[in-house]
Amino acid sequence: MFLYFAIKRILRGILMFIILMFIASALFNTVGEKTLISQIHDMVNAEVTSLTDVKPEDIEGIRENLLEHYYKLYWLDRSVGERIFIRAINTVTFNFGRSTIMTTSDGSREVINIIGEALPKSVILFTTAAFIQIIVGLFIGLIKAKYAGSIFDRSTSIMTMIVYGMPSWWFAMILIMFFVYKINMFPSGGLHSIPLQTGIMYYIDMLWHMMLPLSTLVILGFWGISFVVRNIVLGTLQEDYIMAARARGVPEKLVLFSHTLRCAAPPIITISLLGLLGSIGGSIIFEGIFSWPGLGNLYWVAVQQNDIPVLMANLAITTLLYQFGLVTLDLSYGFLDPRVKSGGKQ
Amino acid sequence: MKLVFKFLENFWSEFRHYKTGIVGLSVLLVAILIVLFEGFIITYKEAPERWRDITYWQDNSASAPPVWLNFFKSKKSPITENIIYEDIEIENRVYKTKFVYDFNADEAPLDIILHSMITGNAAFNIKVTRPDGTSIVLFDEYYTDLNNTDLRVSLFNDAKTRVFRFYRESVSAIFRNKLDANTTSPMFVLFNSKGNDMALEFIPLKGKYIFETEATFSENYTEEILFENPYIVAVGSLSGLLGTDNMKRDLFSGLVIGLKWALFIGMATSFISVIVGVMYGIVSAYFGGKVDVSMQFIYQLFIGIPTLPVMIVMSAVFKPTIWTMIAMMITFSWTGSVMTVRSMAMQMKEETYIEAARALGARHKRIIFSHLAPLLLPFSFASMALAVPSAIVYESSLSLLGLGDASIVTWGQILHDAMKGSAVLSGLWWWIVPPGILIALLGMSFAFLGFALDKILHPKLKTR
Repeated sequence: MFLYFAIKRILRGILMFIILMFIASALFNTVGEKTLISQIHDMVNAEVTSLTDVKPEDIEGIRENLLEHYYKLYWLDRSVGERIFIRAINTVTFNFGRSTIMTTSDGSREVINIIGEALPKSVILFTTAAFIQIIVGLFIGLIKAKYAGSIFDRSTSIMTMIVYGMPSWWFAMILIMFFVYKINMFPSGGLHSIPLQTGIMYYIDMLWHMMLPLSTLVILGFWGISFVVRNIVLGTLQEDYIMAARARGVPEKLVLFSHTLRCAAPPIITISLLGLLGSIGGSIIFEGIFSWPGLGNLYWVAVQQNDIPVLMANLAITTLLYQFGLVTLDLSYGFLDPRVKSGGKQ
Repeated sequence: MKLVFKFLENFWSEFRHYKTGIVGLSVLLVAILIVLFEGFIITYKEAPERWRDITYWQDNSASAPPVWLNFFKSKKSPITENIIYEDIEIENRVYKTKFVYDFNADEAPLDIILHSMITGNAAFNIKVTRPDGTSIVLFDEYYTDLNNTDLRVSLFNDAKTRVFRFYRESVSAIFRNKLDANTTSPMFVLFNSKGNDMALEFIPLKGKYIFETEATFSENYTEEILFENPYIVAVGSLSGLLGTDNMKRDLFSGLVIGLKWALFIGMATSFISVIVGVMYGIVSAYFGGKVDVSMQFIYQLFIGIPTLPVMIVMSAVFKPTIWTMIAMMITFSWTGSVMTVRSMAMQMKEETYIEAARALGARHKRIIFSHLAPLLLPFSFASMALAVPSAIVYESSLSLLGLGDASIVTWGQILHDAMKGSAVLSGLWWWIVPPGILIALLGMSFAFLGFALDKILHPKLKTR
C-alpha cells in the first residue's frame, strides 16, 4: 500500500511542477522576450559591424537574415500561446537553451551546464549544515522538554525568539567582517584558494573555506528546530501511555528516547525538513554574501547581469528541488508513521 | 461590544503573565511612538524626501563613525555640527554676521563650510579670529546677479592660499618651505597653535574661533536684495548618532525612517495574508466536497512555490514599487494558516449551533462571517505576529539584492548600499550592524508577542 501512496504522491509532485512551470512561462514570457529581442539586436549589430568584405548595399539584407535566423532560433516568430507552451515544455524537459552573458568555468554557455556546475556546491553546504542542525537541535530540544520550565529551557527559548527574525545573511556579514577582515582567520569567500591545491590539501582547503558559512548556518539554524522538538516532545509527554510507562517504572531515559521520541519523530522530521526547505530562499542571499558558487549565488549574479535565461532555469531547478523536498517529506512521513501508509487504502 | 471588552480583559489578565510577551509589546509600542514622532527625532529633517539627493548631504563627512566614540577615545575627534549665527547686523546694505565655533578636539576638523541665501550683487568676505588673537581674512569674492542662490563657501577649497599665507607669515623664514601645499589641509594650519613646527605637528589651539562674514551689496542692483539663513557647518571626522555612509548620509535618520517602512511592510503583509488564509480555510472547510478539493489543489500549488526565489525573479523582471512588493508577499504567504483553520472549521461546522442557524434560514455568508470567522480569527493572531518578521526579512533580502523600491528608505536598502560601498571590507561596522540589529530586534519583539499569544491560545504548550 505504501507503494501506491508513494507513486501517487510522486506523480502529484511532477504534475505540480509542470503546472508551476506553465504559470512561470506565461508570467515571464513578455519581459523575458523583451530582453531577449534587445540582446538579439545587439548581437546582430555587433556581427554586422564586424563584417569586413561586404558591399554596403548587402548589409541590410544580411542583417535581416541574421535577425530572422535568431528569431527562429528563439521561436519569436510563433504566436504568443505557442511560445508560452514551447517555453514551458522546454523548461520541463530541462532544455534551457543558452545564456546571454554568463558562462561556466570552462566557457560553456549552455544554461544546463551552468546550473549543473552550481548545484552540487549548494548541496554540499546545505546538507552538511542541515545534518548538524538537526542533530544539535534534537539534542537541545530533548533537554529542553525534559526540564521544561527550567532556566536552560527558558533562556534557549528566548534565544530562539532573538534569532527568529534575524536575517542569516546579516549575521554572515558581521562574521565576515570580524573573522575575515579583522582577525584574518578564514578566507573571505569562494570555494577554493587560487591557485588550486592538490591532493589532500584540496579537501582541507575546501573545508577551510566551508567553515565560516557552515558555522553561520548552524549557529542560527538549530534554535528553531530545538524549539519545535521541545513543543512536540512536551505534547507527547502529556499522553496517557507515557504516564502508564512511568507508572510501570520504565526508566526516564527509556521513556524519553524510545517511547516519546519514536512517536514524536514524524512531526519533528516534517517540521525540521520544512524549515530547511524554507531556508532554500534564505540561502540565495547567504551564498551571495559568501560568494559560495552555488545556486543561490547564481541568482545573485544573474540578477546583476540581467541574464534572464539563467534566472528562469535557476527558478525551475529551485522549484523542482522544492517539490522534491515536499515529496520526500510526505514519503518519509508515511514511512515513519504507519497510520499514514494505510491511509491510502479506500 | 461588551463581549469584546470582556474578551480583551480576560486576554490581558492572562497575557501579562508572559514577561517575554510584555517585552515584545513594549518594544512594539516604542517603535510606534518613534514612527509617530519621526519628524522630531531625525536629525536631518528633509532626509525622508531627499535621501538620494547628493546635494542635500554634501556638507557632511563621508564614512564617519558615530559621535559617541569620543567617550572611548583619549584623543577627541571633532564632530560635525551646525553653527547658527550669534549676531547679525544690517547697516545700509551691509550685512554682517558672526559665528562662534567652540573648538575642543584634538584633531583639526575636515572642513568649515559657510552657507547663505543671497539675491543681488554683493562683495562677500569671511574673517576668522583665532583664540590667540590672530585675525585672518579667509575669503573675499565679488558676486554679480545672484538670484536667491545658495552660496556655499568651503574653506578647505576656497581659503587655501590665504591660510597658507598665514602660515608663511607665522613661522620663521627657514621653515616657510616646509609646508607641502598639496598634502596639507588648510584646516590643519588654521586650528594649529602657532609655532615653527605647525606644518608638521598638530598641537590643537583650543577655544572659541569667531567667524565673521560681511556681505556688501552694491547699489546697482534694481530689485530687492536678500541675505538670509546664514549658517556654518563644521565638518568633523565623527558625525551623527550612528555615523554616516560613504555618500555622507546620516545613518541615524535613515534608520528612523526605515522603521516606519519595516513596520508597515511587516504588519500590512502579515495582517492581510493571515486574513486571506483564514477566510480561505473557512470557505474550503465550510463548503466541502468539490469546492474543498479544488481549493486544496490551488493551496497545494501555492505551497510548492519557493517564495524568495520567485519573488527575486519577479522583482528582477518587473521592478516593483513597495505596493506591488507587498502584494507579491501576500500572494506567496497567505498559505501559512490555511490548514489549521480548515481543520478547526471542519469540526466547528458540525456543531449544533451552526445547524440551528442553518435551520433558521441563515445564508452561507452569514454563517461564515458571523459564526465561524469571529471564533476562528483570534486563533490566527499568533500566526499574524509570527508572520511579521519573515515579511520584514523578505523585503530586506530583496532590497539587499538591489531590487527594492527606490522612492523609500528601508533597512535592507541601507544594507545594500553598505554591500555596494564594501563596508564589510573596510570594517565600517556602524553602517552594517545597526540595520541588522533593528531588523532582528523588531523581529524578536514580534516573535515574543507571537509565542506568548500562541501559548495563551494553545494551552497545551504550557510548561506543566
